[in-house]
Amino acid sequence: MARRIEKAAVIGSGIMGGGIAALLAGAGVETLLLDIVPFDLTDEEKNDPAARNKIVNAGMDGLLKSKPALLYTKKDAARISTGNLTDDFDKLAECDLIVEVVVENLKIKQDLFARLEKIMKKDAIITSNTSGLPLAQMSEGRSDEFKANFLGTHFFNPVRYMKLLELIPGAETKQEVLDFIADFGERRLGKGIVWAKDTPNFIGNRIGVYLIAKAFKLLEKTDLSLNEIDAMLGAPMGLPKTAVFALADLVGLDTIGHLGHNSYEFLPEDEEREVYKLPKFVEDMLEKKMFGNKTKVGFYKTDKSPEGKRIKKVLNPKDLSHNEFDRKAVPASVAEAKKASTPAEKMQIILKDSFAWELIASSMIYSANRIPEISDTIIEIDNAMKWGYAWEFGPFEIWDNLGVAETNARMEADGMKVPEAVKKMVAAGNSKFYKTENGKQYFYDLVNQEYKEIKFSSNMIFLKTLKADNKVAKKCDSASLIDLGDGVFNIEFTTKMNALNGEILDFMDEAKSYIDANGVGIVIGNQAPGMPGAFSAGGDLKFMGALAKAGKFTEMNDFIKNTHETMQSMTYSALPVVAAPYGMTLGGGAEVCLAADKILAHTDTFMGLVEVGAGLLPGGCGNLNLWKKHINAVPQSVAISNLADIYIPVFQAIAMANVSMSAKLAQKSGFLGINDRIIMNKDYLIGEAKKEVLRMLEDGYAAPLKDDVLVIGEAGIGMIHAELLNMAGAGYVTEYDQVVLKKIAFVLAGGDVKTKTKISEDAFLKNEREAFVELWKNEKTQARAEHIASTGKPLRN
Amino acid sequence: MRDAYIVEALRTPGTRRNKGAFAQTRPEALLSHILDALAKKAGIDKGIVDDVMTGCAFPEAEQGLNIGRVATLMAGYPDVVGGATINRFCSAGLEAIAQSSMRIMAGWSEVTIGSGVESMSTVPMGGNVPRPHPEWAASNPEVYINMGNTAENVANRYNVTRADQDEFAFHSNMKAAEAQEKKLFTEIVPTPATKFVKQADGSIVRESFMMDYDDGVRPSTTIEGLGKLRPAFSLTGSVTAGNSSQTTDGAAANLIMSGDACKQYGLKPIAKLKAYTTIGVRADEMGVGPAYAIPKVLKLAGLDVKDIGLFEINEAFASQAIYSARELGIDDPKNWRSDSDSRIINVNGGAIALGHPLGCTGSKLAATLLRNMKEKGVKYGVESMCIGGGMGAAAVFELID
Repeated sequence: MARRIEKAAVIGSGIMGGGIAALLAGAGVETLLLDIVPFDLTDEEKNDPAARNKIVNAGMDGLLKSKPALLYTKKDAARISTGNLTDDFDKLAECDLIVEVVVENLKIKQDLFARLEKIMKKDAIITSNTSGLPLAQMSEGRSDEFKANFLGTHFFNPVRYMKLLELIPGAETKQEVLDFIADFGERRLGKGIVWAKDTPNFIGNRIGVYLIAKAFKLLEKTDLSLNEIDAMLGAPMGLPKTAVFALADLVGLDTIGHLGHNSYEFLPEDEEREVYKLPKFVEDMLEKKMFGNKTKVGFYKTDKSPEGKRIKKVLNPKDLSHNEFDRKAVPASVAEAKKASTPAEKMQIILKDSFAWELIASSMIYSANRIPEISDTIIEIDNAMKWGYAWEFGPFEIWDNLGVAETNARMEADGMKVPEAVKKMVAAGNSKFYKTENGKQYFYDLVNQEYKEIKFSSNMIFLKTLKADNKVAKKCDSASLIDLGDGVFNIEFTTKMNALNGEILDFMDEAKSYIDANGVGIVIGNQAPGMPGAFSAGGDLKFMGALAKAGKFTEMNDFIKNTHETMQSMTYSALPVVAAPYGMTLGGGAEVCLAADKILAHTDTFMGLVEVGAGLLPGGCGNLNLWKKHINAVPQSVAISNLADIYIPVFQAIAMANVSMSAKLAQKSGFLGINDRIIMNKDYLIGEAKKEVLRMLEDGYAAPLKDDVLVIGEAGIGMIHAELLNMAGAGYVTEYDQVVLKKIAFVLAGGDVKTKTKISEDAFLKNEREAFVELWKNEKTQARAEHIASTGKPLRN
Repeated sequence: MRDAYIVEALRTPGTRRNKGAFAQTRPEALLSHILDALAKKAGIDKGIVDDVMTGCAFPEAEQGLNIGRVATLMAGYPDVVGGATINRFCSAGLEAIAQSSMRIMAGWSEVTIGSGVESMSTVPMGGNVPRPHPEWAASNPEVYINMGNTAENVANRYNVTRADQDEFAFHSNMKAAEAQEKKLFTEIVPTPATKFVKQADGSIVRESFMMDYDDGVRPSTTIEGLGKLRPAFSLTGSVTAGNSSQTTDGAAANLIMSGDACKQYGLKPIAKLKAYTTIGVRADEMGVGPAYAIPKVLKLAGLDVKDIGLFEINEAFASQAIYSARELGIDDPKNWRSDSDSRIINVNGGAIALGHPLGCTGSKLAATLLRNMKEKGVKYGVESMCIGGGMGAAAVFELID
């Protein structure tokens, strides 16, 4: 029988258990969330189901209220049922997957599995989300059958957003189970799979905690303050801005301490074992419960001045006092690195500092020495750090960036011991851990001392690899056209935040002509790094602002006309066009998607038409296409009696610059329609989009008919004008907001026409274009646009 | 001209929109029930009624299709009895009484009914399909203004403080709670309510139960509690859900006869309608309506404020009710506080506690006022309200001893 997960259970409703339950529910799996009955119930409460479920209900409550949200949409909560481990234990017998996330206590876990074994479905998969306890001991005493279906599934917090899923096979786990869970984790849950071994703290936390513990140790050798260290190791080194100490505050020093102690106890052979013996100041902090965010004081704390201003303070490890610091003042090296263009240059600038160098170099050496102890390959370690700790580059990629031979030389000069395997690799004439040849990616296998091809799921297409393999059909400074094979070409934006500009729009026209002649279909997608990253953060406001400042409104008008033609040519092209957004998909980015035949959105797509923040309205067919997306969702046999039921929410979405906080919420707000799809795994996006193009062709794709559009006309305009008085009276809108909102009302209504008229798309777009240019003529729009472009915050003038 | 006499005046309970007992009850059911009860209580043959006028502020959808006619037939009145729906927003129910009375006064009818109905749970305020005139809305949107904003304007322009409003709201609730406890709302007719109840198997079953009290009264409210509510209509405003009227479902009806008819059917009238008027005011401060309508109607009736023993001034918002009382010179706390034995304004609470079922309110307040005039032996009573779009309406009733 084919394995299927129809029902899953998560045992333990804490932050991790709740997060895993939310993810499973989001993936469409019926999920049972269980926790213990509280120990301290009164006799009366012992018969009260609500009291017995108090812990799981609190967990459920926490997951519903979590910020950022763990659920893609609150609706998914309906897939989670709750219960307790006493009254509802037998329900576990119906589950195909059971994830244990209870307290990190071996005995408790063993007892739980012993109970579970008696009632579980014969073939159910049992996993533990332990972050460090030995799996082998957990399953001790269980049957062979249990062990064959048992493994570790280690998620990272917050589960929805962290890509890493460490899978830890037990010695007796069936290969079929491992294959199944890897596919389930990747395809259904959207995670990046890393194979770990059953060693303390597995991979991510082993390296991550080492780095933090090592930083603690090295502190005595430096005069840098903790905030300076975080600034240096953050953005310039490709670590998240929390880097080391702010990360410890975020995770909780108690957790770091626990992992550190765990490492010291269970890693007697570790060559760096002494690093895990935490220095006195850290033990003192633990004693004083200076755990970071959860106790409001850690390496950082925030005080309030008498005037209520927030004062950020940082710890002085010498006396555990906190001193105020200027968050904007950064070390000179950070400012210098910011100006450097490549990641390698940025890193080299930072690593001139001996503290930063010793910390990073030690971590690279430590990582290399962990092979094959914690993993067989460098890929697992790099991926674990990128996906679980949000590093832009893993330790071996950093090594490559810096140059392996040069780095080794500096290490040796500084008395550090370069791992033999790495020395051997270089000695054999191999200068890098990774290389791309003929469109294939290779990694260096340190154990067998040879390059091996990196195997990816067949759904994954990496533009970077294709580009390195001469698959670039056309290119400009802002975009590339990449051959995905089978006649499908990908238009990739390559600007900062993938913002749209004139060059991209021209390029799209050229690309389309090229594909018309040489291909069969178009994918609009890119793979910019970051969590969540940006498919496209919008249009280039500076370019428009310059036109407006120079009074070049005829040019602006022509530019918008061209933009409309480009967008419309995508919509009505004889070629299928599939957009593949993820992360920030704002303004022009959303408009590109709305113009496509189909959208394949990553589950974490934050989509919205946000132009109003710049004193504007969408100018790339966004009004027309969002309206069409709504109106076309109604079957033609339905006579819409009240067009305002559609007009008002569309108006609000644009007028209030609503951004969906997930693809499912974009469905709810109409940005994604019935034909669009949601993809859980971000790395599948381009591959799935390509498949979608081919499928559409297979199905006999024809361009959509360009039909006139039903609009609400003057009736809608009247409604908004009347309502604006109320909003102004209530203090919700300024005078100039009203000017902008009236334009949006007019354009979305299809202009001053009789209600329920059908107008041509060209007429609709003429209104959009004219309104757009008119708004730019206004100094207040110019000021708003300039303000948001330079500060990222809206101006309410 | 001859006089028109109110012979019987009844109402359903007022219940909270979407949350109260009538939330799932059709407006036709509320209205037909009260029309039926009216004939039964008066002991008349329904066939003697000439016409039924029904006030309704949003006469569309379930309240459309001329609910005045539909509900009259549903109430068992024979085909020969006519029915009409009339609208002047919040005074529609009083307008219905006035128009029905005028038919009698003109000698064109002997027996009529002035009624009102509004199920705000069923048809939302503003209607299902509001369509302000585009050009007029662009230049003069005030006539379409949200009622809450007008209350803010009255508070701001005429210095009615948040504390004033909350105090007034508190007393409205206390008066209503006291009246409920003393069972003073004898004009209420127990009314069947519909409820659709989900069964254990997921099916939904229509159930019916009787409702006999106004379910929006908050006996436990406090001035401190009211003070904590956030402004409902403006970021910096003073008008809250607590010092505004409640949105409500309900119906009310008044049986009106000529003197001859009273004699013919042997019925003793409660009061006669002495005068009725309306007046326009600025739309964006429509709440001031009573301050202009009451002096106007008193002049028509040849009376002075001092002659009036009881007032029902609809509490659309505390801000406008307070302002109106001030302008009339009757704002002395003893006239309206719950701890005053000599109170004359909204003596058993007003719409802040009892609810404001828009088009029903005019008929409902008449039933309440007449009941209190009779109970207390008050000769002249005034009913008044402000009206969306910028108007006031007022009527003077004279008790028949």
